[in-house]
Amino acid sequence: MPGLSRPLPAEDRLVLLPKNPGSFFVFWQLSAGRSEAFRSSVFQPEIELKLLFSDDNSPASSMKFPWQAGRGYLPVPAPGRTCQAALYAFRNGAWEKLLDSNQAAPPCAAGMAEDRAYASLEFHKKVLQ
Amino acid sequence: MSSRGSLMFLLHAHLPYVNHPQDSSFLEENWFFEAVVETYVPLISALERLSAEGIRPGVTISISPTLGAMLENEALENKLQLYVESRLELIEKELTRAQGDPALLRTVRFYQKLYEDAAVLMHRYSGDLITPLKALQHAGQIEIITTAATHAVLPLLSRPEAVRAQLAVAADDYMDRFNRKPAGFWLPECAYEPRLNSYLKLSGFNYIFTESHSVDLSASSAPSGVYSPYLTPNGVGVFARDAASSREVWSSKFGYPGDPAYREFYRDLGYDGDYEYIRPYLGSDGVRRPLGLKYHRITGAGTDLAAKQYYDPEAAMARVEAHASDFLARRMKQTEDFYAARGTGPLIVSCYDAELFGHWWFEGPAFLEKVIRKIRQERLPLQFVMPSEYLNSCQEPPELMPGVSSWGENGYFDPWVNETNDFIYPAVYSATDKMIETANRFRNQDVPSLSARALNQAARETLLAQSSDWAFLLYIGSHAEYAKSRLEDHASNAVRLLAEVIEKKIDEPALAELEQKNSVFPRLDFRVFASVSKF
Repeated sequence: MPGLSRPLPAEDRLVLLPKNPGSFFVFWQLSAGRSEAFRSSVFQPEIELKLLFSDDNSPASSMKFPWQAGRGYLPVPAPGRTCQAALYAFRNGAWEKLLDSNQAAPPCAAGMAEDRAYASLEFHKKVLQ
Repeated sequence: MSSRGSLMFLLHAHLPYVNHPQDSSFLEENWFFEAVVETYVPLISALERLSAEGIRPGVTISISPTLGAMLENEALENKLQLYVESRLELIEKELTRAQGDPALLRTVRFYQKLYEDAAVLMHRYSGDLITPLKALQHAGQIEIITTAATHAVLPLLSRPEAVRAQLAVAADDYMDRFNRKPAGFWLPECAYEPRLNSYLKLSGFNYIFTESHSVDLSASSAPSGVYSPYLTPNGVGVFARDAASSREVWSSKFGYPGDPAYREFYRDLGYDGDYEYIRPYLGSDGVRRPLGLKYHRITGAGTDLAAKQYYDPEAAMARVEAHASDFLARRMKQTEDFYAARGTGPLIVSCYDAELFGHWWFEGPAFLEKVIRKIRQERLPLQFVMPSEYLNSCQEPPELMPGVSSWGENGYFDPWVNETNDFIYPAVYSATDKMIETANRFRNQDVPSLSARALNQAARETLLAQSSDWAFLLYIGSHAEYAKSRLEDHASNAVRLLAEVIEKKIDEPALAELEQKNSVFPRLDFRVFASVSKF
């Protein structure tokens, strides 16, 4: 899997981005102290990402990831409904919220025409042939 | 004959900012040289020809701020001149080599004219190709708009400050370059979300272009579909792209560019020529690369590169004539159908990457010129219109909130967010968040000159890290290492400069080097990133 060659500053960040009508992209970074808490097993090694509907804060869905994964994709729980993510870690028998994300609105699905031609992609792809 | 319908042609001209002043020959700078010779010069020449003959081209051109900066960069202009001179030198040798092969000789002579025309046009404008475009706009022949400062996919910037900075810097850059406020804004990758409306309005933009399904996805009623402009609830004009006219030109399978008579892009003297013969024209690394001399035609779908036949410019121009007629016949049919159903003429909005015309589709500029000429010569009931004049002259457009969309593969954000490139976003956000935080910290302070320089350069680096090009190149696997290193360089430059300002340990020589290399937006003030911006 491709990755960055250089380390980034250790800081807390949880970002939720729209990808398509079916999925969000989410990534997280942790401060040095929190990373150390995972490494030293103060926190369990899995984090839980919970999606909430932004309009009423009701829970929408959740998924677990290894804390070091740093990024992943979450299914859109309801078409077009704005969501927010929260990152939880498990310690002392309870889930503890560490980070909140921005709000993100997923696109609604369109009836896509198969023959729709998109941008220069076809030409750029041809370069690889 | 009075007009039954209107055509709006938008060419979006953009290249990522590539400037390596320390290298005499840098592979990725060739993107710029090739685009100038094959796209920008032929397009400007065609527009000037039409204008001189009293035929108003009436096309809209979006020029990205990064491309504008490259077109005005003296060091790049000098390299471009050397590039053209070296090609003309090679062509001289090719003319000798082609003696006895009339088909090849004809094509070499064709290239000689192409490069000579480029040299003449550049000489006429002292290397600055913004000048003729500015003159054409001033004369009302074309309309020029802008796009985000470094072509960021705006819906992927979650921080409002980052979106505002991309728009505000673009508006200032346009004002500096064209001496007027920009009326229109090309959303990079046609990527739209409703959150952008307020920022567009605040930055003074009157209209945008969106992908066709942004209208299909709207909760509002859009009885005219993509054939009418709209206004967002806060009054920003929206022109939706017509998929049919785009497909005919874009698609390499079904579109005009795949015609057997047209020039084959992938067969190039840089790969075909004897190595020692072409070695002086390759880069310092000596690796074979395209030299822009492509002597073959597509010949047939699936034809092996080795079996391609020589390009025949006259045969290609005959196909241009036929394709221009076909394109207009299809637009006439669209117009007649719409008129019959609604009793009013449609507006057909066709948007393309400018570099498709000439660079990828070699005959593209000739096609565009032919389409414009034919409307006049054949007195077709169609007219080319430009966005500002259309909005000023049409009835108040209906209100519509477009849906989230882009013109990328699958219609959303997949090309810029997927498993080949998603690793870049922590770096982009790290730089962006740190930039906003530091701009907020210093926004009301009288910052010493050296610190201000470092902060302003950090803002440039942050903007450059946000460019859509790095994610796209990683996705298609083309120049991927270069894209990754550029992204990482800009993000880490920004973070390092901001830390140096806070720690009061600015490395002035390193800063000066960055200022020379990444010299976009000379008037940029870092405060543009502040949460409550003075802009």
